[in-house]
Amino acid sequence: MKTMKRGSRRVLHAALLAGAGLCIAGTAQAADPLVKACSKDGQFIIGFSQANNAEPYRQHVNDELTAAAKEVPGFTLQIADGAGNVNTQTSQVDNFITQKVDLLLISPFEAAPLTPAVKRAMDAGIPVIELDRKTVGDPGKDYTAFIGGDNYKIALEAGKYTAKTLLPDGGEAAVLEGLPSSTPAVERLNGFKDGVKVNAKIQVVAEQAADWVPDKAQTAFSAMLQAHPDIKVLYASNDMMAAGALLAAKGAGKEVKIIGTDGLPGPAGGIEAVAKGDWAATFTYPTGAKEAIEMSKKILLDCASSVDTTVTVDTTAITPENAKQLSGK
Amino acid sequence: MSEGKISAASGPVAAAPVHRDPLALIVRFQSLIGLVLVAIGGIIFSPRRHGAILFLDPDNIANIVRAVSETGIIAIGMTFVIITAGIDLSVGAVLGLSSVVTATMMISGGFGLIPTILAVLIMGIVFGTIQGAISSRFRLEPFIVTLAGLQAARGLALVVSGNQYINISYGDGLGLAPPVFAVLGERLFHNTVPVATIVFIVFAAIATIVLNTTRFGRYVFAVGGNERAARISGVPVSMVKISVYAITGFAAALAGIVHAGQFNFGSANDGMGYELTAIAAVVIGGTSLFGGAGSMVGTVAGTIMLGALANILQLNNITPAMQLLATAAIIVLAAVLQSLVRRREGLGR
Repeated sequence: MKTMKRGSRRVLHAALLAGAGLCIAGTAQAADPLVKACSKDGQFIIGFSQANNAEPYRQHVNDELTAAAKEVPGFTLQIADGAGNVNTQTSQVDNFITQKVDLLLISPFEAAPLTPAVKRAMDAGIPVIELDRKTVGDPGKDYTAFIGGDNYKIALEAGKYTAKTLLPDGGEAAVLEGLPSSTPAVERLNGFKDGVKVNAKIQVVAEQAADWVPDKAQTAFSAMLQAHPDIKVLYASNDMMAAGALLAAKGAGKEVKIIGTDGLPGPAGGIEAVAKGDWAATFTYPTGAKEAIEMSKKILLDCASSVDTTVTVDTTAITPENAKQLSGK
Repeated sequence: MSEGKISAASGPVAAAPVHRDPLALIVRFQSLIGLVLVAIGGIIFSPRRHGAILFLDPDNIANIVRAVSETGIIAIGMTFVIITAGIDLSVGAVLGLSSVVTATMMISGGFGLIPTILAVLIMGIVFGTIQGAISSRFRLEPFIVTLAGLQAARGLALVVSGNQYINISYGDGLGLAPPVFAVLGERLFHNTVPVATIVFIVFAAIATIVLNTTRFGRYVFAVGGNERAARISGVPVSMVKISVYAITGFAAALAGIVHAGQFNFGSANDGMGYELTAIAAVVIGGTSLFGGAGSMVGTVAGTIMLGALANILQLNNITPAMQLLATAAIIVLAAVLQSLVRRREGLGR
């Protein structure tokens, strides 16, 4: 359909030029809006291509996005679940393109595999906001914008917190990694290990992959505690694994300071676990949902001609000091 | 169930067998009937844009057939195995392993396109052959052997990739893959037909010819229909059994190459669960897990039907949960139809 698309793009360009010519904006050089059909009171469909609904964190993103989109009368949000499969996710993005959604939000399951699909969306004139994970290329050029946290930096903070606050006198630490060879797993592992380096007296004595899930985490951490009874701190690359690790520590009758990642809300989430004193800390992985809908409003309702191409949402350290107040939220 | 003569272009043409039973005829074409029904449903329930039916948009059809090409390639190999009353659970993992080996050879190994593809296909054949040989030599259930094979392939993939995912970038020189490899992710003929689909259809055509017109194809049916009778009448049973696993290994490796080319990526985690999707497509296509009966065209239709179903549900923004439930219902329906026919034909299973 390249010929069609080329044709329609040419029409679009012509229309944009004509529109720009007719544009009676306050500025002398009114740039073209990112979406030509933008309007204050229009009806817009936003497609969200989610990587994997099976992960509680991603369900939390879906919930926040749905809530934020509900606030905007003209927005309809469609969520497609890629089910942790790059092929499925690619076909869902293609379906959104076929539907001609007005804007695409995407959390790519992996970067490189979803890059061609994102390019197809951009080529079809659909702005693409990437949430939490990036595809290959540069924001503002290969896709419209990136909004999300920085896995490496969040884990780095957790490492520094361990080095300075939890184990200032040194000792043994361990890491539970996510799904080996997945991007966030690698970034969080490296971040934490770099973070604890500021304290030379800390040794990371064990690293095991537990694929993000609590049951594997419990098994892996039980084995770690057998092999290294002196582990003082465990860094879990997500809240689910931290929950599993807690069971292992209780089972072994050990006092281990556990750090989670994600800081999920709710009775089974990480914030509650810190508030109850079960874990030492968890570091939130912000969803960026509010920011994403704000940006969509700018593009679709306010006819923005440009947006911030990278919005890094900072992590919040959930520690005993602030957990109680946050869990009441 | 007699074999129909197949012309790859026009689907099955019954070789005028005397079907005493209209139900048997339905089962014979169940996946084609199912595909037509899903397509009609797709047209009826399709969202419209400016009066045009979105489901029939050429772009949309291309999306559907692209999305099913990898599981389709695997399902074709799986059809041979299931006709012999076997099963191969290792295919998804072998896809992952093949994608990793493809990426590693081209990116860090500096191998060219042809040596890489040949090596990966041979690896798939060898992997399948080993499983077939173990199963045949030690009289082990293929279910168990290929379950072990699944674990082995995932483990090997992690070893080869060093627990990292491998991005494929294109260009000339060391650490880059030949740009022509990226064609697997593109569409030919004025950007309409996905190359991955072409690979799938060509492989399906060859497999159909092999299954329906060659002596080997007849042996496959004979081994699945009645192994003892086949052995007595001089069919090289172990050879046939080993060969079908070699074919699924080849198919999984081919799907892995297509995967790496489509997604510029090799990952040990890719292809998880593909074996089950493929088995579902084969069963919906009218191939019996008891062996001895099956249809390659049915498998292709079953594969595309599952893809079309997923597509129409997403176009209507219906939850993935419904998709799973609908697939479950279709699998059960296909199996029930088959069992009714078997009972009527007095096969008693």
